[in-house]
Amino acid sequence: MQEKVEAQNILSMNSIEVLYDNVLLAIKGVSVQVPKGEMIALLGSNGAGKSTTLKAISGLLKAERGRISRGEIKFEGTDITEMLAQKRVEMGICHVIEGRRVFEHLTPDENLTAAAPMGMSKATLNAEKEKIYSFFPRLAERKNSQAGYLSGGEQQMLAIGRALVTQPSLLMLDEPSLGLAPFLVEEIFGIIKQINQEQGLSVLLVEQNALAALEIVSEGYLIENGRVVMHGAADALKANSDIQEFYLGGGEGTNFHEVKHYSRRKRWLS
Amino acid sequence: MDWVFLSELAINGVLTGLLYSLFAIGLVLIYKASSVPNLAQGGLTMVGAYVVLALSHDAGLPLWLAIPLAALIMFGLGFGIERVALRRLAGRPVVMILMLTLGLDIFLRGTTLAIWGGTSRSMELGVSYDPLFLGDIFISRIHLVGAGVALALFVAFMLFFRTRTGIKLRAIADDYMASWSVGISVERGVGLSWALASVVAVAAGVIWGEIQGVDQALSLLLLKGLTVAVLGGLDSILGAVIAGIILGVVENVGADFLDPLVGGGSRELIVAAVLILTVMIRPHGLFGRHDIERV
Repeated sequence: MQEKVEAQNILSMNSIEVLYDNVLLAIKGVSVQVPKGEMIALLGSNGAGKSTTLKAISGLLKAERGRISRGEIKFEGTDITEMLAQKRVEMGICHVIEGRRVFEHLTPDENLTAAAPMGMSKATLNAEKEKIYSFFPRLAERKNSQAGYLSGGEQQMLAIGRALVTQPSLLMLDEPSLGLAPFLVEEIFGIIKQINQEQGLSVLLVEQNALAALEIVSEGYLIENGRVVMHGAADALKANSDIQEFYLGGGEGTNFHEVKHYSRRKRWLS
Repeated sequence: MDWVFLSELAINGVLTGLLYSLFAIGLVLIYKASSVPNLAQGGLTMVGAYVVLALSHDAGLPLWLAIPLAALIMFGLGFGIERVALRRLAGRPVVMILMLTLGLDIFLRGTTLAIWGGTSRSMELGVSYDPLFLGDIFISRIHLVGAGVALALFVAFMLFFRTRTGIKLRAIADDYMASWSVGISVERGVGLSWALASVVAVAAGVIWGEIQGVDQALSLLLLKGLTVAVLGGLDSILGAVIAGIILGVVENVGADFLDPLVGGGSRELIVAAVLILTVMIRPHGLFGRHDIERV
């Protein structure tokens, strides 16, 4: 039974602890499973440890002097806890880092070329590019202008397109909605969903915008203070009154004068 | 006004300037891939020249074999420098890497002094010293050869930065973290840029070694090379070539006007003035990339 569950998960992360500079404990035993072909969201507020979780999976922790001090990460059954970031990309994990970070002085077309694996043939690369331009027609229009001058939404599309060139089987997105207009968020999330459904790409999505994220994912994890404090199906999370109040900006009919503000405040933490 | 003399000064200024460009291309290569001005390029150039001498004069190989072999050795040395020294500093503040290259320069100078001593040796390329006359204008053959080498390298690298590997190097210069995130090996890319810059150092070392002799003074080319690279924009190979020509002409013609007034030595002053004015007036140089600020 256990074996079977393992086989269904493309990624399984077990009680991971991350230390920065050998002293700062950023996440404290986070376990996250991503089933094959599913979209999963990591929710939580600023500094909760969502980005650190993604960096632990993609191997980018090292660049920020962080390291995994406990736990293990398995990707398609292989232990990748100590693997180099570059190797993980080759295996099929690609991380779209926070803040878009396109190669500003390159054109969008060169951005895509830069991400191509060394062994990829020119024909395959061109086919990949065509596919990405069909997902994001705006990029095709501006493929020869300087990427630094694209709009925020276009840069986010480029960052996602650049990740797709690596032909990932697990795509990790860190705050793709950051600083974007709501209609753009909808457009980008729609395309991600489309890629997920058409190509069976597994997606791990980090978002502060819980409302938008819970619309497209099947399961969500809520992270607070470096721990997973809640995990469930997207519908169940949307219905949860705490989530509604703290993350969805809701709490229907709550009279804030009457709420004793300390009584329900994130009580799962202690 | 003596126009023949003036054009002779200008043409020789262009040729000398292209020789500065030859040196500066090495600086630009490393800057393009890692956003660090390599203060050890002078030391590398000197080592390149000494390695060629060691292979040709000391080991007795013919020059046509010694120079490519030296380029190969220096290519390996460039990779080695990244592996041993720079890798630990990846992602650290640029100032620390800058200090490392300065230390490396001192180390290279010390090593060459210990191994080959301080006396000046000649390269003996076999290029004739007979004057070449273009109408009434006198041109030095070795300068002409050097300028040709500089232009050839310029074309080669312009093409290189359009290839997939070249684009990856430019991506690394833009953003280390983003490069890692899409599986680009930043370490290998930086290593490659140092290796290529070391090969350029061999070319510059051979030409400049022929012109002024091979000794410690070769490493002082860094000052002029850096001026050219900064004026050109640090990350632009085209900029390095054009800035080299500008500096060469300004220096040659300017010194001819100023030297009688100040009693000599104005060349250095002109170079210094160009460097200081560039940094003050146009910090990203003639062709350097601006840092993009979107509004």
